[in-house]
Amino acid sequence: MKFKDKHKFVRSNMKKNRTRLWMTILASTIGCAFLIMLASIGFAIHKTAVDDVMSFRMVNEIQVQKESGMMTENDVMKLEQIKGVKAVTRKKYTPANQLSIDEFNTFANVMSAHMPSEEKAGFELDKGRMPKNKNEIVVGYHFAEDLRKDQPDNYLEGLSEEQAQEKMKELSYKGELLNKTLTYHLKTDNPDIKIEGPVQTVDVKIVGIGKKPAREWAHDNSVFITEDLYNEVISILGKQDPKIASADELKNYGEVKAFTASADDVKEVTDRIEKLDYMTYSIIKELKQMNVYFTLFKAGLIFIGAIAVLIASIGIFNTMTMAVTERSQDIGIMKAIGATPKTVKRIFLLESAYIGLWGVGLGTLLAYITSYGVNFALPIIIEQFVNETPPEGFMLSYIPWSLTAIAVTICMGVTLLSGWRPAAKATTVDVLKALRRDV
Amino acid sequence: MISVSNLSYAFKIGKKGKENIVPVLHDVNLQVAEGEIVAVVGRSGSGKSTLLNLISGFIQPEVGSITINGTNVSKFSESKWAEFRLNHLGFIFQSFQLIPSMSAFENVELPLVLKGVNVPERKKRTEEMLKRVGLESFQNHYPGELSGGQQQRVSIARALILNPPLILADEPTGSLDSENEKQLLCFIKELNENYGITFLMITHDHEVASIAHRKVEIIDGYLREERILHEVQR
Ligand SMILES: Nc1ncnc2c1ncn2[C@@H]1O[C@H](COP(=O)(O)OP(=O)(O)O)[C@@H](O)[C@H]1O
Ligand SMILES: [Mg+2]
Repeated sequence: MKFKDKHKFVRSNMKKNRTRLWMTILASTIGCAFLIMLASIGFAIHKTAVDDVMSFRMVNEIQVQKESGMMTENDVMKLEQIKGVKAVTRKKYTPANQLSIDEFNTFANVMSAHMPSEEKAGFELDKGRMPKNKNEIVVGYHFAEDLRKDQPDNYLEGLSEEQAQEKMKELSYKGELLNKTLTYHLKTDNPDIKIEGPVQTVDVKIVGIGKKPAREWAHDNSVFITEDLYNEVISILGKQDPKIASADELKNYGEVKAFTASADDVKEVTDRIEKLDYMTYSIIKELKQMNVYFTLFKAGLIFIGAIAVLIASIGIFNTMTMAVTERSQDIGIMKAIGATPKTVKRIFLLESAYIGLWGVGLGTLLAYITSYGVNFALPIIIEQFVNETPPEGFMLSYIPWSLTAIAVTICMGVTLLSGWRPAAKATTVDVLKALRRDV
Repeated sequence: MISVSNLSYAFKIGKKGKENIVPVLHDVNLQVAEGEIVAVVGRSGSGKSTLLNLISGFIQPEVGSITINGTNVSKFSESKWAEFRLNHLGFIFQSFQLIPSMSAFENVELPLVLKGVNVPERKKRTEEMLKRVGLESFQNHYPGELSGGQQQRVSIARALILNPPLILADEPTGSLDSENEKQLLCFIKELNENYGITFLMITHDHEVASIAHRKVEIIDGYLREERILHEVQR
């Protein structure tokens, strides 16, 4: 018997009891949709967590530290030699943090950076370029916001926190910062040191402004100065504070990161770096640990969801068992004429497969619609009733292809399994008993 | 065409372990030549149907052997039997055994479908066959919408559609009125004469005379050759 004929035969059989058929399909649909929806919550949480981790670090970034002590020039050179390392960025923190322009002032997070390496590592700028000369600097995206006029007395009195924040913004620097020259005040932030006379300053020019951080709430007010300027600054500060001249943490790097050409190389390069007795930290590593946890979590949800599918499959089992009983005469006649047990079995398996396919198809569709609806409606509901905006990119349900594939496999597997026994039963229909119906 | 030798059969009834054994056939030997019409007669419950069911493969013999068309079928598996029936045997039943949810056309077409014949050829052959049994205008009728005689003609059409050399019939005229019975026997005779189809059929004594070449009688499970009614023609 050709497949096309089996298909036709099964279809006409299925039409015999439509209500029962659709009820069975409905049960599978709900079971399948439930499985996908439940698991999609796990997938959404996982995705949110991964996106979160990825949003403030680059995938091809490996943070490197020593077991004890700080990273030295020597360490950086060793890292640069490692195969697969594209660039090694390194930063030193300065103890002088005040910058100003006209009457605007800020205390920023000033660091030295090795500009060629930063450039190679893919430092992202919103505007401008990377520094080329000693006195050129790059500032973070929110630098201007923090550059403020002095607060008049009682400026924020009686204001709520939110209002105060708005009010503070009015004091911020409004103009264009790119290519402006700022005054860098070379005074150590150690409050114990008192300086007589005017504070020494150095003019620095903003040549680039960093890109907006991926995360809404992140606030980037950092200032990157060149290493040459840093050395000059330290020697001046060293005269103010003898501790600075001898401080190890100012000679060595506070933050060292190795970058690979692509995310795929991270694991290999990490291994090489760790062989040299460094400690590493990378997204890939963190994700790996996170993935184990979330995979277990998702598997648990899928397992619970699969129970719903299993319950639905009892419906398929019943329907198919009844179908076999009802059609035992037809089966008997077909067997008498020359239908092999294999053919009979295939026909009934095909019927349960069709029920399963309908269930899976409609269930998946329903799950996608529900998922979309929930993701769309929930933030609105939260805003309405809890009066709070959910975080950006909020997702309660996420259905990746892999989940759909898993659900389809589970549903179809369970369906075929539940259709198996009725189909096997159909093959054992006794020809003579079936033919003896009305004799 | 058919060779049955030393065939015995007993039904087992009751639960396993304490079955009741009901012997039905005892050491049956029967030869049916190609082109013969052989009638099996006997009292009700004598074992006629059992013999035919064994030859049809609906039940499996434990003692003795059956050879059909040169093939020893006694040890056939269920699927082998199914294939063999499809390709070599045609069946006519007392109660027609048509599938009620299928039209006359679909019922006749069924063996072709099982065999995997393509649609255009199926259509052609089925229409031809329905014409041959005089039902071309009833092809879309369902069995419930046909008279007994018409239903039996549909079932004959179904039996003939794959041109089997042998047709087994268990009281084919049992549910028919005398008019239809006469027609059917005529048709069987014609098929035998024109196409050389061999028939083994269970029938009642009085009808047999008109068409059967030979008659065998089963008495309490023992087969007895009665007499040759006619010489086999040709
Ligand atoms: N399925 C069965 N189980 C047990 N005994 C059966 C079965 N079928 C038939 N018999 C017995 O076998 C004997 C022969 O039956 P059958 O071959 O149908 O007779 P016939 O067709 O000659 O009227 C009967 O005594 C009947 O009771
Ligand atoms: Mg009988």
